[in-house]
Amino acid sequence: MNVQGPALAWQSVLLVRLAFRNILRHRRRTLLTMLSMTGGYILCAAAISLQYGSYGNAIEFFVKDRTGHIQIHEGNYLQRPRIHKAIAEPDDLARRLINDADVIALTTRVFAPSLAYSEHKNAPANVIGVDVDGEAATTTIIAKVHEGEFLTGQADADGYFSALIGMGLADLLKIGGGDELILISVGADGSIANDIFIVRGLVGTRRSADRLNVYLPLGAAQAFLSMGDRVHEFSLIIRNLGDSVAVADRLGGLLPESLSVDPWERVELTFYKTMQADREAMFVTLGIVVFIVCIGVLNTVLMSVLERTREFGVLKAIGTRPGRIAWMVLTENAILSGLSCLLGLFLALPIVGFMTIVGFELAEPMDVGGVLMSHVRGEFSLRIFAVPFALVVTTAVLVSIPPGIRAARILPIQALAST
Amino acid sequence: MIIGSRPLLCASLALFAYLGGIAEAQESNAERAKQIIEEVDNLYRGDASDARMKMTVETPQYQRTLTMDSATLGRERMLIRILGPKKDRGISTLKQESEMWNYFPKINKVIKVPPSMMMGSWMGSDFNNDDLVRDTDLTEEYVLKLTETSDTFEISLTPKQKTVTVWGRIDYVIDKHARVPISQTYFDDDGEKIRVMSFSENREFSGRTIPSVMEMVPLRKPGHRTVVTFERLQLNPDSVSADLFTLRNLKKRF
Repeated sequence: MNVQGPALAWQSVLLVRLAFRNILRHRRRTLLTMLSMTGGYILCAAAISLQYGSYGNAIEFFVKDRTGHIQIHEGNYLQRPRIHKAIAEPDDLARRLINDADVIALTTRVFAPSLAYSEHKNAPANVIGVDVDGEAATTTIIAKVHEGEFLTGQADADGYFSALIGMGLADLLKIGGGDELILISVGADGSIANDIFIVRGLVGTRRSADRLNVYLPLGAAQAFLSMGDRVHEFSLIIRNLGDSVAVADRLGGLLPESLSVDPWERVELTFYKTMQADREAMFVTLGIVVFIVCIGVLNTVLMSVLERTREFGVLKAIGTRPGRIAWMVLTENAILSGLSCLLGLFLALPIVGFMTIVGFELAEPMDVGGVLMSHVRGEFSLRIFAVPFALVVTTAVLVSIPPGIRAARILPIQALAST
Repeated sequence: MIIGSRPLLCASLALFAYLGGIAEAQESNAERAKQIIEEVDNLYRGDASDARMKMTVETPQYQRTLTMDSATLGRERMLIRILGPKKDRGISTLKQESEMWNYFPKINKVIKVPPSMMMGSWMGSDFNNDDLVRDTDLTEEYVLKLTETSDTFEISLTPKQKTVTVWGRIDYVIDKHARVPISQTYFDDDGEKIRVMSFSENREFSGRTIPSVMEMVPLRKPGHRTVVTFERLQLNPDSVSADLFTLRNLKKRF
């Protein structure tokens, strides 16, 4: 029969009761310490919410603007784009992908650098051939059409296909809706691609990344570039953006080896790495804030330990083991920081809720790929509250280890002799 | 002293005579090279020419064949019209002196080729715009050095200090008996071989024996080559006159 179990449980209850008694002994000091930790918790929760929220919004805008969640290319097209590196028989691949459980929408594209001409002006342009229906379903392109209308896949009565052009290009060429746009490029067969299109609408803004883009219906762009039915890019939208890496890796194993499947994190590696670095910097900043808060906690714990030197001496004299004394000091701080975080949670909930629902209006709307972001909003999720909780409690317990060891090492004879 | 210096004087005279002989030999070597280069350079051109050509461009990704008519007048004027394939029909290139324009009938637009595009590919081939435009007098712009074998003349052309060119050296190999080119090899400034143009299948055109096939191989682009075959070449025809080489005529539909 194990008699140590109930005894240990009783000792633990006793330890918690002792810890509570010590916490409540100097209520004013305890309250001030708690307030500093509560403040640290709220600050962390708000900062993390805003950071994750704004990045979440930026990522959502970004992937919907053009990358999609996952992209598929032929070979190393992503690293070294060349017009001939195109995916053959895209219809078969599209059928296969759309039947995948994780894929909810897809679109196909072709790309080519080009020279654009109007009657008297010329400018460089990026030609992007898009699947009219697929692009509308997977991206925010329709929202970016500021003047005129979105593309149609059919040629007009004179046999000309429509084009959407970036605002920057429209300015350079001094053309608008209904005007002729002449494009010259190099076809996939080495020929000189040249054709006339009719501007149907303008997209983005004068400063957005798509300001020099020309969007053409996919079929017209393929014919213009002598590409047959081949495409340069598949862009997929999957059920859960957070699964992009796992789904890309799974699809990569299923599709022919010549195709490379990349999640948006690899497609826009620089953006992703910058974002990650920014997040890490935020955590370092928050760590410093929490550390400063916990320096105050350390001071409180040290004072508390010094004040109770005789008490610890008595406890050791009646046979309390050093480990239990150290454990008592740690428990006091764990309870104190835990209560502070609970209070912080209570206060942070409405603050984070406000930031998530209402957010902060930007003085000047931010352009994300031609779509204007007027507000920065926070994120409301378990991690927003759990991460600061763990951060504050862990740091508070860690800083109370040295005072705990000091308390455990007290010699009863010296402690009892002290005043 | 005077008597004593006589052998020295004789030796000096002999040396001058020898050096003079070398200089004369060098001059006659350069003169001969110049004559051969001019002969080869004018082989396809005459004072005027009218030709039909087939150009096949091969790359690891595609093969494309164009048929075209070309006309030249002197060294300065040239007009090329693409006859096929259908989607490229009517695309034309006009050269006047050192300027060049392309006409695209589908968009009804004449576009001048800017100097920055001169090294760009012409119609997707391994010839660049500069190959068409260049009216350099090789014998004036380059230092020529001739060596002979039993069957060939080998002429090395090194650009003079003032010559504006991307080539560090051009080596011509010419058939000594038929007086037709066999190959032209282009080197960069570091002496690395960049491209080789080979000539083959000699045919009789307007009373001249001329290689009817030219093959350009860019050595830095594996799997790429362009082959131009002359199907017809008429030298000094009556149909070619100065009014053919105008911007108005460039836009003329045919």
